[in-house]
Amino acid sequence: MASYDSDEEVDYATDPAWAHITPLPQDDGENPLAQIAYHPEYVLAMSYLRGVMAVNYHSAQVLKLTADIISMNAAHYTVWGYRFKTLMALEASNSFEDGKTNWSWRKELDWVQSIAKQYEKNYQIWHHRQLIIDHLNDPTGERERTNEMFASDSKNYHVWTYRQWLVKKFNLFDKEELDTMELLLKEDVRNNSAWNHRYFITLGSLGTDSPADGVIDREIEFAKVAISSAPQNPSPWNYLKAVLRKGNVDLVSLKEFCEQFAPIYSEDEIRSSHALDTLSEIYNAAGDFGKAEQALVLLAAKFDPVRKNYWRYRKRLLGANENVPTASEKTPVVHATA
Amino acid sequence: MVQVDPLEEGEQPRFATQAENNPDGTFHQNMYRMAPERVPAMHLNLPFILDDLETETSQKQLSTARNIIRSVNQSFLPPLDRATHVEFLLNPLDEGLSGGFVALDASRPWLLYWCINALSILGEDVGAYNARVVSSLKPLQHPNGGFGGGNGQAPHVAAAYASILTLATTSYHVSRGLPENERLEVYAESFAWIDRGKLLQWIRKIKLPNGGFKVNEGGEEDVRAGYCALVVLALLGYDEEELRGDPSLGELPLLSGVAEYFKNCQTWEGGIGAKPNAEAHGGYAFCVLAALCLLSGPEEALSKNLDLNRLISWLSARQYAPEGGFSGRTNKLVDGCYSTWVGGCWSLVEAAANAIECGKGSTKVNVGDLWSRKALIRYILTCCQGPHGGLRDKPGIRPDYYHSNYVLLGLSAAQHYYYYDDSHAQSSVSAKSPFRHAYRWKSSKNVPKPSGDDGTGGGWLEGLVPDESDRVGVQHPLFNIPLGAEGQLQSWWEWFNDVSDVDAVSREN
Repeated sequence: MASYDSDEEVDYATDPAWAHITPLPQDDGENPLAQIAYHPEYVLAMSYLRGVMAVNYHSAQVLKLTADIISMNAAHYTVWGYRFKTLMALEASNSFEDGKTNWSWRKELDWVQSIAKQYEKNYQIWHHRQLIIDHLNDPTGERERTNEMFASDSKNYHVWTYRQWLVKKFNLFDKEELDTMELLLKEDVRNNSAWNHRYFITLGSLGTDSPADGVIDREIEFAKVAISSAPQNPSPWNYLKAVLRKGNVDLVSLKEFCEQFAPIYSEDEIRSSHALDTLSEIYNAAGDFGKAEQALVLLAAKFDPVRKNYWRYRKRLLGANENVPTASEKTPVVHATA
Repeated sequence: MVQVDPLEEGEQPRFATQAENNPDGTFHQNMYRMAPERVPAMHLNLPFILDDLETETSQKQLSTARNIIRSVNQSFLPPLDRATHVEFLLNPLDEGLSGGFVALDASRPWLLYWCINALSILGEDVGAYNARVVSSLKPLQHPNGGFGGGNGQAPHVAAAYASILTLATTSYHVSRGLPENERLEVYAESFAWIDRGKLLQWIRKIKLPNGGFKVNEGGEEDVRAGYCALVVLALLGYDEEELRGDPSLGELPLLSGVAEYFKNCQTWEGGIGAKPNAEAHGGYAFCVLAALCLLSGPEEALSKNLDLNRLISWLSARQYAPEGGFSGRTNKLVDGCYSTWVGGCWSLVEAAANAIECGKGSTKVNVGDLWSRKALIRYILTCCQGPHGGLRDKPGIRPDYYHSNYVLLGLSAAQHYYYYDDSHAQSSVSAKSPFRHAYRWKSSKNVPKPSGDDGTGGGWLEGLVPDESDRVGVQHPLFNIPLGAEGQLQSWWEWFNDVSDVDAVSREN
């Protein structure tokens, strides 16, 4: 019999090993719309899958059949689901141990990784992997597998979702995880997925708990260094503000830091629209509405003009937060026409 | 005092050559019907600030922006090439698909929805397809309830979602203008075959204790599943009692914990991810915003559950210049499909922002647009139209059915003002439906400009659709089906449920 990960073809219709399964045709209904002109191999394999599912048949043969279909259509969630049930049934009958199947969870995971590399935008592959690792309750090698994926696409949403699950499930909030994010951000400081994961492992996973001593300061410093290397990169700016919020640190403490990237009265020296955005918030909080508005004007007119309407809306909200000084303390504001 | 407004200072109108107008080499017949427009300066040049440090992200962004400048910098906006898009979308319906499309074999209802809804946005009467939509979808209903992506496949919530949306669209088209009895007949043929009871039981199986949903039994959990489930429940007319469930059968209230779950998906960036802690992403942001607005009015939905200001900041940062289009995540490239996923969020957050502003005083205040409709329209018309029909991610990428629908839906969002109106809430349909708020959305061709804090000023935004032949249809901002289709369907369920009740009573007697 063919090995389950080989490309060796099985002709389900003539192979005696499949004679006990009655293939079931697909019923597309009367005069169906948008019918797909399937290749005959797909039609055949799918009719055997329906046959197999109808009698709830789980054997090593089903691994070959489902692998065949997945090689033709990796987004076939029903097939993935049935394959997982089959794997569980094989394990339950001790079929992995006694050598009858020439298959194992390890082989399955290697096979899944090879499929993942072919089909990067796919929900099912990573969910299948998650089900298996959840069942085995062992994350050994899994971080390495996801790192391999990041080498070709460092922002793959499915892989990152899986990585998060892994970290949470096996409590991998450790130095290795932090070092990996540092490495990814060293390669590309604009990798927002890596920033997101960094936030998750340092602060996001805490819920309402307080961060450990020094974490807030360390993360502020990390973001500031990143900003200094490329001040127009939005990721570390958002990160910095989120860290401050989480640590209950006043945004106004960033005033000098921001002003070095965006002196609002020296237009030619402005190197970051995000510094302007943050400064507008800071000046607003400090009650300096004239400067807050000037930052917004610069954004709308020159540094981020496609968001002109948003900056106008922000102008409308100036002075609207709870720290608003009393009317007599307010800097007089000349309202620009909207 | 510098003023915020006087932007979009374009250069002198330049008359593009035909070659410039047609980077793809196609010729639009009415290319010269409109007066040339000043191209806003932001579309002519790279952003003012570019960091020296190069990384993979900045290199991709720069080469994309450079490539797109060549397309967006056109004094004559190309018209919407309606006829070739229609042809592109009719083809799979009428002729079927080649074997190369086998990857969509578990997404058959999606194919129908994308093509049929896109045709409907383009003004095509898709009513003629209703009977074939019904006969194509019937084999997808699973014997135990729900819909699979194809015949014999396991039920999947996105398959149910796309199936119901398609049915709602074609039945609306075919029944428009018919007398009531014939209209009811159309809806009966389109919907009465759906096993609502079993479908509801199946949805109970994919609901999670944390308030989230899985896409199918044994499948992945994300907010897409929650949004699709709520849309199905809303459009199939389930009432409060059905959703509450029967405690004697161990059933829990289906909607409990749902808003709380969505709320937990807002991230440190202000955007919304696929599940708690996942990276903020435009597609999931739309799912969450729309789902929350199914459960309550936009102000309550968005300002009570989310940090609205940070959400707006993140959404706004998705629009780029020179491109004009939206990206889905921070530091990712623009893509035409986010015209819906991000573009479609604006009417919802603006409705919330307007309600908050009005709550501060007694006047009717409108905060105006928080985004650039014109920049998106420019991106769509200049960059997203495939030379041989169909709409696409960006220049150089092949159009497909998914992008066709979501680029056109985004164009509809940019061309129209969609607003929430609960002033006639009591008289509207299904005042007792758990999803009643979803039935209070309206549209207008007039897009209001911002008014002052006292409600004065305002007026309408000019020049969004310079030529009416480019106008596309109006769509429901939560359901993404023709606006009006949701109400017709809802009134049929009311009639149907009344009749069923009467039947039940007469059987008992």
